[in-house]
Amino acid sequence: MSTAAREFHRKAAEKAPDLVHRQVIQRNMVSYDIAVDKAKGRFRDWQAGRRRAQQIKWEAINNLDKLLEQFEAKILERGGHVFWAADAQEACKYVVDLARRRGVKTVVKSKSMVTEEILLSPALEKEGMQVWETDLGEWIVQLRHEPPYHIVTPAMHLSRQDISRLFREKVDPTIDTDDPQKLVAVARRFLRRAFFVAEMGISGANFLVADAGMVAISTNEGNARLTTSVPPLHVVVTGIEKVIPRLENLGLFWPLLATSGTGQPIITYSTLIGGPRKAGEVDGPEEFHVVLVDNGRSRLLADPEQREILHCIRCGACLNACPVYRNIGGHTYGTIYPGPIGSVLTPNLAGIEEFHHLPFASSLCGACREVCPVRIDLPLHLLQNRRKVAESGIPGLAEMAGFKVWSWAMMSPQRYNFFGALSRMGMRMVKALGLSGSLLDPMRPWTKYRAALPAPRQSFRELWRKQRVVEKPE
Amino acid sequence: MTKIENPSREHILDRIREALRAPAPPVDMTPVPLEEIFEPVADPLGRFLAECQTNLMEAVVTANTAESAERLAGLLTALPEGEIFLQDAPAIREIAKPLEGKRSLRWSTEGAPSESCQATVTLAEAFVAQSGSVLSSSSCGGRGASVVPPTHIVYGGVSQIVPDVTAALRLVNEKGLPEQSSYVGLISGSSRTADIEKILVQGAHGPRRLVVILQRG
Repeated sequence: MSTAAREFHRKAAEKAPDLVHRQVIQRNMVSYDIAVDKAKGRFRDWQAGRRRAQQIKWEAINNLDKLLEQFEAKILERGGHVFWAADAQEACKYVVDLARRRGVKTVVKSKSMVTEEILLSPALEKEGMQVWETDLGEWIVQLRHEPPYHIVTPAMHLSRQDISRLFREKVDPTIDTDDPQKLVAVARRFLRRAFFVAEMGISGANFLVADAGMVAISTNEGNARLTTSVPPLHVVVTGIEKVIPRLENLGLFWPLLATSGTGQPIITYSTLIGGPRKAGEVDGPEEFHVVLVDNGRSRLLADPEQREILHCIRCGACLNACPVYRNIGGHTYGTIYPGPIGSVLTPNLAGIEEFHHLPFASSLCGACREVCPVRIDLPLHLLQNRRKVAESGIPGLAEMAGFKVWSWAMMSPQRYNFFGALSRMGMRMVKALGLSGSLLDPMRPWTKYRAALPAPRQSFRELWRKQRVVEKPE
Repeated sequence: MTKIENPSREHILDRIREALRAPAPPVDMTPVPLEEIFEPVADPLGRFLAECQTNLMEAVVTANTAESAERLAGLLTALPEGEIFLQDAPAIREIAKPLEGKRSLRWSTEGAPSESCQATVTLAEAFVAQSGSVLSSSSCGGRGASVVPPTHIVYGGVSQIVPDVTAALRLVNEKGLPEQSSYVGLISGSSRTADIEKILVQGAHGPRRLVVILQRG
């Protein structure tokens, strides 16, 4: 078992029975579910919208080279820069070198999961630069020195009392309120100063629009607007898979992303940026850079069966729908991308050896597939990752041998009956001796947290033989 | 313009081309018309006003320039002391006339809005009925005008309303905005956040108020 897997099991066992955690997440999920239902009602046919979105992303990913070149050409024409980064290290080095050359001291960031993935902030901080997250949720988790809990709602796990206490400790000792309105005002005052002193703004991208050659960024707070308007230097850091072919596609993708992401009709600031400030424009950055990050994505592209994982628009709907995520929480995963999409993405991007446990962190209930706005067949990819794990030999000899015996037993009715009777007897004995849940209980992984299963006296086969009433054909 | 070093560009593109040689399982490509996804908008003005309400925006419909000027003056005089930033366009010069000498005005031709300005007044590229949005661009007073001040006032005509987001994006292409303007934005309300316990708070980093003055004719 890898270190990541051991940590995962430890934290999951800790979080799942944590009632306070459950209550906070439950409250968030209930408001989310209500909002999403309402927003879906604004579509004449939500399912038709999902089908169309799937078609567009399929077209985009299967023409990725052409569309990226089309996008790049437009940005270069306008005097912007496009840097292609093979991995996290190359991407970080480009941004750090650029910041150093321009004498940057303060950086403002609007929310971007790709920058979390490549660990950009620590790289900049190592150079002595001050980096401020400007999305409220991101800023809160930054002050707590912890990773985002959720890809859309980073501070979902905190109550307003937690946040009030945090602000009192880290920002202003005189804060004596947990009124969200007042807490937001504290963040606004603090981050306003950052926006106006920063020499560099870093944003992510929700979409790269190929035909227009523009980057689409959505935020409700307007922090991405300030990040991309005020500092003299704007750097977009994004994954190569974010492409869509045509500007008009946003007529669907903007409402779709908002509906699945937060249950809004559209995100308040749905923004397009095509380059640096043009001659004659009132304001805007003098320099504009787009960093296209591969970091394992082209490897995933090479697997035709799993290619559609790259269709993901990072709305977070599959996290919210997932019964495992709701119980063990976002931090337990120990990955940048948690939940179902994280469990299909992470083993492919960061290596199956370390993250072999994630494809199994699912009940395969299929809720994620039902909510995915671009119709990614997430359970299928979880199963394919499980196959990859099995083929890699990671489970170890004991497990492999166990399954060999199991399949041998399954192949004959006599063997199946025999072992069935043996285990029912064993279960009854363990219970009768009062050993349920103890170290001597072979069912311990189950009975450790749950009541022992009642072992039936007879097998289904025996019941069938005895009780079946043969109906005579008329 | 210095050309940046791009050592991995060709390598990444080659890997993508190589990867795409194996075809992905096809998906159902039966065309899905937009009317099947969204109900076509029947009454653009009515829908726009209703959506503004949903988005917590303020919208007023005026009959003529005089009424628009009166509305604008009413809005601005109620604001605290301080600078007002205005897009330097003939239509805004016209309705801002009554304010001259009464408030400190700064025009977009004199530079970007200051951090402490009380309000900005700009035009719009279009308005979107489906989502109650203002379609804005760098030509509408710059990038900061719609996000720096506590109050953003947008002045436009009822005739500028387009039915839906797709129509707005078509208009962006028709006007050649991707080439003319380094920023284009669809703004659907005041700045907001629900990052604390999913409770909606207005005025996160940008304007607390977004006001639209729509003139008929």
